[in-house]
Amino acid sequence: MKVAYWPGCVSRGFTPELHGSMAAVAPLLDIELVELDRANCCGAGVIAEHNQELADTLNARTFALAQQVQGADLMMNICSTCQGAQGECQERLDANADYRAQINETLQETEGLTYEQGLTNKNFLWLLVEEIGLEKLKAMVKRPLTNLRVGPFYGCYIVRPTDRLGIDAEHPRDQYLHWVIEALGGTVIDYAGVYKCCGFPVITMNKDVSLKQAGTHLADATDAEADCLVVPCPLCHLNLDLQQPLAAKKVNRELAMPVLHLPQLVGLALGLEPKQLGMNKHVVKPTSVIDWTTSVVGAPVAA
Amino acid sequence: MPAHDVLIIGAGLAGQRAALAAADAGASVAILSKVHPVRSHSVAAAGGINAALNPGDSWESHAYDTVKGSDYLGDQDAIEIMCREAPDEILHLEHIGVTFHRSDTGHLGTRAFGGASAARTYYVADITGQAILHVLYEQLMKHHETVDRYEEWFTTTLLQDDDGHCIGAVARNIRDGRLEVFDAKSVILASGGAGQVFKPTTNALICTGDGIAQAYRIGAPLMDMEMIQYHPTTLAENGFLITEGARGEGAHLYNALGERFMEKYAPNKLELASRDVVSRAEQTEINEGRGFPDGTIALDITRVPRKRTLEALREIVNIGRDFAGVDITREPIHIRPGMHYIMGGVRTDVDGQTPIPGLYAAGEVACVSVHGGNRLGANSLLDTLIFGRRSGEHAAHRARGVAMPKTSSRRLADVAAEIDEIIRRENTGGRRISEIKDELGETMNRYVAVYRDAEGLARAHEIVRRLKAEAPTAAIDDKGTVFNQDVLGAIELGYMLDVAEAIVVAAQERKESRGAQFRTDFPERNDAEWLHHITISRNGDGVPEKGTAPVRFTQWEPQERTY
Amino acid sequence: MAEYTLKLRRYNPESGEAPFWEEFQIELEPHRSVLEGILKVKAEIDGSVGIRCSCRAAICGSCGVRINGRAGLACHTHLGHAADSGVHADGRTITVEPMGNMPILKDLIVDMDAVHWKKIQRVTPWLINKEPVPEREYIVPHENMVDVTQTMACIQCGACVSDCLSMEVDPLFVGPAASARAYRFVGDPRDAEQYERVKDLAEDRHGIYDCTHCFNCIEACPKGVAPMSQIMRLRRVAGADHGIVDRNNGHRHEQAFVTLVKEGGLLHEAELLPRSYGGDSWFGKFHPAAGQELLSSLPVITTALLRGKVTPKGVLAPHKLPKDALAAVQAITEKVERRRPRNELNLYITGYDDSPGAGDGDVHPLAADGDAMTSAPGPNPHRPTSASESESA
Repeated sequence: MKVAYWPGCVSRGFTPELHGSMAAVAPLLDIELVELDRANCCGAGVIAEHNQELADTLNARTFALAQQVQGADLMMNICSTCQGAQGECQERLDANADYRAQINETLQETEGLTYEQGLTNKNFLWLLVEEIGLEKLKAMVKRPLTNLRVGPFYGCYIVRPTDRLGIDAEHPRDQYLHWVIEALGGTVIDYAGVYKCCGFPVITMNKDVSLKQAGTHLADATDAEADCLVVPCPLCHLNLDLQQPLAAKKVNRELAMPVLHLPQLVGLALGLEPKQLGMNKHVVKPTSVIDWTTSVVGAPVAA
Repeated sequence: MPAHDVLIIGAGLAGQRAALAAADAGASVAILSKVHPVRSHSVAAAGGINAALNPGDSWESHAYDTVKGSDYLGDQDAIEIMCREAPDEILHLEHIGVTFHRSDTGHLGTRAFGGASAARTYYVADITGQAILHVLYEQLMKHHETVDRYEEWFTTTLLQDDDGHCIGAVARNIRDGRLEVFDAKSVILASGGAGQVFKPTTNALICTGDGIAQAYRIGAPLMDMEMIQYHPTTLAENGFLITEGARGEGAHLYNALGERFMEKYAPNKLELASRDVVSRAEQTEINEGRGFPDGTIALDITRVPRKRTLEALREIVNIGRDFAGVDITREPIHIRPGMHYIMGGVRTDVDGQTPIPGLYAAGEVACVSVHGGNRLGANSLLDTLIFGRRSGEHAAHRARGVAMPKTSSRRLADVAAEIDEIIRRENTGGRRISEIKDELGETMNRYVAVYRDAEGLARAHEIVRRLKAEAPTAAIDDKGTVFNQDVLGAIELGYMLDVAEAIVVAAQERKESRGAQFRTDFPERNDAEWLHHITISRNGDGVPEKGTAPVRFTQWEPQERTY
Repeated sequence: MAEYTLKLRRYNPESGEAPFWEEFQIELEPHRSVLEGILKVKAEIDGSVGIRCSCRAAICGSCGVRINGRAGLACHTHLGHAADSGVHADGRTITVEPMGNMPILKDLIVDMDAVHWKKIQRVTPWLINKEPVPEREYIVPHENMVDVTQTMACIQCGACVSDCLSMEVDPLFVGPAASARAYRFVGDPRDAEQYERVKDLAEDRHGIYDCTHCFNCIEACPKGVAPMSQIMRLRRVAGADHGIVDRNNGHRHEQAFVTLVKEGGLLHEAELLPRSYGGDSWFGKFHPAAGQELLSSLPVITTALLRGKVTPKGVLAPHKLPKDALAAVQAITEKVERRRPRNELNLYITGYDDSPGAGDGDVHPLAADGDAMTSAPGPNPHRPTSASESESA
């Protein structure tokens, strides 16, 4: 399928391995990524906190650019925060025609763009389950993650608020990460932090609180004997991986919990090599996930 | 041992308003409630509060509507006071922070309400009671130095001295089971109504008639107890309230044939006739087979512009969605008349004084009587605030001339023994508290509802008497002290049974149809014989003693009542 | 009728025993509430089960509990829904436990005074009248009163406090309910101390900038108060309206973020951190506060560099948008930031358009040609369309 692809900022900044791994995995899943290279930062909720109309206009711009991609089925992102922040703006834009008209006026003036109500914007996780389908995904697995104990870490923006994110009995999107791990042959580890906050948004305001949150969840996952965590959000990754050494100190624990981006976990199961997926770029080396001598996860790659 | 000039029992609107007024008048004040104040049932009052504040309106018009609504049973002097003081009370509330919704010009906005000849209902969306209650609680937090709050304390007994003056109360701290005597120069009962006597009811689980029964037990007469308001629009499923504000905003009622049947019963006011009139019309439609198969009527709110509904009737949008699975902005919702309010209560004068010196009552627990046979929508909040304030002020003044009483600790021991008896009760195969309560509620709702007759009332009385005999043998499960809700439930059941008997006896006594009391065996209003209040007083453990009290008239002669 | 297993968390402080789970079997219709289920247990099986409750209709705020691990009102949660929701749902079992972040008194009853009410008291929860107090009412716009009604609608149930993830690690955090309460006055044009109120909460180490933006309070709230959204509005009033530069770097962070997006169209994280500490310019990182922060982060940065996660080039010459696109972002930013008063849509006030496309007469020629990216009107216009039409593919 063809998607208007919004990679977000962080995947091209501090977590380049996310961008890279998505690019590596997409062809295997038959996803054609048309990168929105003119689109702008989603604002991560911070721009909205400063000026709601600014955030709404900037995201309407991104949506309008996505709607210009000929033949695309939908817009896809690889960052929970983008999903959440853009979804919040889209809710307002879609709810009120007058407001939308005002925003579009600004877009018109600057670039001649218009956002048309009703864009479909899905995180890679949702796309995997809802567009590609778990059965199909299962069939593509070359290297099942057998015996790999994976802790899902959803992050906030992709599971709350459930109404806005369309999570209901028919679309239990707050369970998709569980399902994907299982479909890839791994074992889901239940631990206290599954739906909690990584703490990243307050890292500059209250570092103590921020790192305590990250540290607590990592420690809980460690206690639950997870081999690794998987995240659909690069900001979570920053606090859980990049900051893990500091977080460990904050909670007085020895922590060495590898944290994988979702495309990396998928890529491993689909037979890609750890290096192709940029897993060498993590702060916490994913040694418990990967046997570096054989580059094999769990089971050997099926022929 | 706590001692205060004024002790207020109950912390809904009447209680909090009384506390603030008494403190303002310089008294030392304690306010005590079995629930945290913001949990009080005033929180559920939805539609608004009446006052003739608009330039084109007058307090006389408001008073006349109230008198007419009461079916001429309301005391006109009290009604005049309430309606005259209403505008200042609204402005007071506005100044302390109630977020009344505005008109386009930024002035206080109003909505139409039943039985009113002008749109004079001030409102905060459809959470008016909640908004006022929470703002009053803000004021209590602000004035924490002058008002002592006892939250989650359950009153068991009102105390009297040898002269019969009320001098305080015994209460149990729900958190740890500790009993305490609260000495007070004046006691104000503000503990609300008794809706739980009926099942179903719009009333909260806490509305168990505690104060009505407590006053009754120490000899205070009850008045107008037969006057039970059935609200025209309660949710069929569970009896939840759908505010009259819906009809005020323009919603219509339809029977199963699609007829707007109120055209027959109240050709002028239609859906906005008095509640007794609308409820009776609905019940007639249902009884005569024109209701929906589940015994309901359709309330069509889709006529109200959707934006307006979402803004001004948000709570019932939620109730419809969450408790009936209906989007009221898109489809009618099924309703029926349901027990909502008790016009009667502890008899008081216009300053809240009961015939027992030192004992006051205000709000639904009291009967001033401003509602008479039928209360107008949006007059109950007003009643609580006006007479809450007046009680608080009067009690504070009275306290200046009285010495602080002292209760002997023996009274405490007596109460402790009574509670112990309940907790220690052996389970000898008697009925559970919940069974007795359910049978009571269903009995009342069957025989003492919109339509009544001698036979049904006699049956109800017989059942209530039997339940009174059964209650003292009902054992409870919780033997502890911390949050023993079981033992409180047993005490509340006793209160409810007392109140129920008073209601039934009064309904039997009034052999006419007036306001909320419709006797199919006496279908006409009979001013010649029954234009007076019925009082009920305790008579040992026997059948309550009936009495009468005159209706006080000022300027409105009884007329035929049409809407 | 359906059968349910209510798994209740029991605790009796008088027994000397630890809390434990007890299961009760009940039969009720699926659309009955969890509270009705518990009341049935109390009525018929064990009257000693402790739970506060009163109105049964989600208005008194008494019955806040955690159902299947999430806070909410017992009276506001259907048995059927509860039994079917969550990862561990088996269609029958419903776990109910006391709310979090507050001490437990007995069974499902927590000490609200110790946490919730203390925090409410902390925000000076009463109107401080603008003088002179008018003889009649204050004349204020209708929209303002509807706006603060959103926070007035809070029923003080504590569900948001229970599930606040910041409070979980920082018990001193003022928290969602009290912040919403604060907005009730900050947004009230009759209040005299808007500046003092937001200044106080912005400067507090555990104030409005302590919120991690996790949405748990929005999710938990049964009344649509959206406490987190109110916190964001408090931040806007503090930062954008009153220019309060707080000691928590809250405002600087926000400013730096906006400026960086304006400068590059994308976020440049390497600059964001130092500017958040030091100030909103390229020189921010040379500010002593920024230096200190960088020093403490040195090991992290070193590791990131060593792993090739961050490259010196990436730090110094970040990814930027094409020139014309950047110009558009800048033009938008300048235009919108100039607008006074700020254009802020509150869906609580405006509601949602009746149907998608209502009032949206003509389709713009530059909009997507096919309707693949534009969903059909769904059955529920309250839901963003991104969510409603996924399974059809």
